[in-house]
Amino acid sequence: MISSLPRETIISIVLFAVVWQIMSYLAPSLGIPAFAIPGLGRIAESLTKITPLDVAVTLGRVLLSLVVSFVIGLLVAVLMYLSGSVEKYLRPMVRILMAVPVVSWILFAVLWFKGVEFRIVFVLVVVCAPVFTVDALDNMREVSRDLKQMIRSFRPTPLQFFHKLMLPAITPGIITSWKITLSLAIRVVTIAELVGAVTGIGHQLSVAQELFSVADVFAWTLVLVILLFLLEALLVQLETRVLRWRA
Amino acid sequence: MSGLSAPIEISGLSKVFRQTTSGQSIVAIDQLTLRIDPGELVAIVGKTGCGKSTLFDLLIGLEHPTAGSITIGTKTPYDDFNAFRGKIATIFQQDRLFPWRSALDNVKLPLELIGIAEDVQQERAMSWLKRLGLEKFANAYPRELSGGMRQRVAIARAFAVQPEILLADESFSALDEVTANELRKTFVELAREFKSTAILITHQLEEAMAVGDRIVVFGKSATLLADIRMMDWDRADYPLLREGIQNTLQANAPDPRLRR
Ligand SMILES: Nc1ncnc2c1ncn2[C@@H]1O[C@H](COP(=O)(O)OP(=O)(O)OP(=O)(O)O)[C@@H](O)[C@H]1O
Ligand SMILES: [Mg+2]
Repeated sequence: MISSLPRETIISIVLFAVVWQIMSYLAPSLGIPAFAIPGLGRIAESLTKITPLDVAVTLGRVLLSLVVSFVIGLLVAVLMYLSGSVEKYLRPMVRILMAVPVVSWILFAVLWFKGVEFRIVFVLVVVCAPVFTVDALDNMREVSRDLKQMIRSFRPTPLQFFHKLMLPAITPGIITSWKITLSLAIRVVTIAELVGAVTGIGHQLSVAQELFSVADVFAWTLVLVILLFLLEALLVQLETRVLRWRA
Repeated sequence: MSGLSAPIEISGLSKVFRQTTSGQSIVAIDQLTLRIDPGELVAIVGKTGCGKSTLFDLLIGLEHPTAGSITIGTKTPYDDFNAFRGKIATIFQQDRLFPWRSALDNVKLPLELIGIAEDVQQERAMSWLKRLGLEKFANAYPRELSGGMRQRVAIARAFAVQPEILLADESFSALDEVTANELRKTFVELAREFKSTAILITHQLEEAMAVGDRIVVFGKSATLLADIRMMDWDRADYPLLREGIQNTLQANAPDPRLRR
């Protein structure tokens, strides 16, 4: 994986590490407290203390929420596609959902629901599902009229129409939506986990903050970023396999 | 062996489009009456905008007439839409293949829709690809095929359901002359072999004369200007016929030379 990275990427990461290390040496003489810029050694030490369980829990929450968002988002999109009046009523709702800040959702979740897991999934779904809906609807609208006319002339059932034409036609768009919502969910989950969760990367970040451990915050953040990159790499692999016909 | 048992009866058919922007009405088809017998190969010629594709949409059943009707036996393709599953097939100007499906899977599509057994689908689709000389390209995606090959796949897809009615709208117009000729010949051969009733819409007179047993000439709003049975004409008189049709198209009125 690392060997497949472009040389420039590796150089820029190494440069950043070197600068960081120099800053950490110079910090005390610049009047910055030593804990603010921990050395690479200290960060490495924090990395060894990463608990895989917390990573797994966060990953689980993200994936579950994304699957739920995808199913709901696609169903709503199909309803909106099928009925013009459903579309007219739902579109403003979807727009409003998308305009509400994440923090408001978190506060609502805390005030409305008791279960911590439910709160987290709620926040993620309410943030991600509208993205799936809007993208899927746009993509369905863009399916070529010619192809629709062609398949209709063969008299498909409504289910066949969706399964044989619409779904494969919007698959490239769906994969793009997954890329967007994945990075969105990874960033939102940590904030959602700050409220009430006793597991997960977000919780560990808040613990690190209470301990004034910049090294720990750095380490957990690094894990999160790497996690996102790995998931994205998986999606890209899936994309090249599923979209072979495009090449 | 398929084959339509009842004629296609178009009677007093009109289609009016109301334009949403200007509120103006466009009469695409004006009281067309036409009867097409089972197994006939009819070429419809007419200038651009004369309502050919509108008639095509009505025949497929995707549009409803403003007045009049199309009946096939006791049914209409638009009100009894599903009664024609597996009985109508279309070939368009563009191949309209699914880019995400291989050639073979494209031919299989209509077979999947009518719900026949998976192994029969496979076998039948493959034999149709063979028939059109594409067996080596069964697994190729449309983007890997030439325009002529893609149109062959579209023809295979249309014939695979062994339709009673074949509708072709400018199916060979986008191809180079050599390929178009070849595919026209294949189309006619297959339509005859399977006793399909075939309607080919075209703006090219040469094509109409090469394919049709019968040439129907449309004027503005799909008015019937001439209805010619090729067997009434000797080959020697073809130049006369051609000129007659050309004049008819140009004048938007029947040419006296076409009277027989
Ligand atoms: N959906 C529609 N709404 C409004 N007007 C339409 C619609 N479809 C067709 N028309 C109009 O009806 C007339 C006939 O169009 P049609 O497409 O049937 O012609 P055509 O004979 O197929 O022409 P071409 O040879 O260019 O394909 C045209 O004036 C066209 O603008
Ligand atoms: Mg047309």
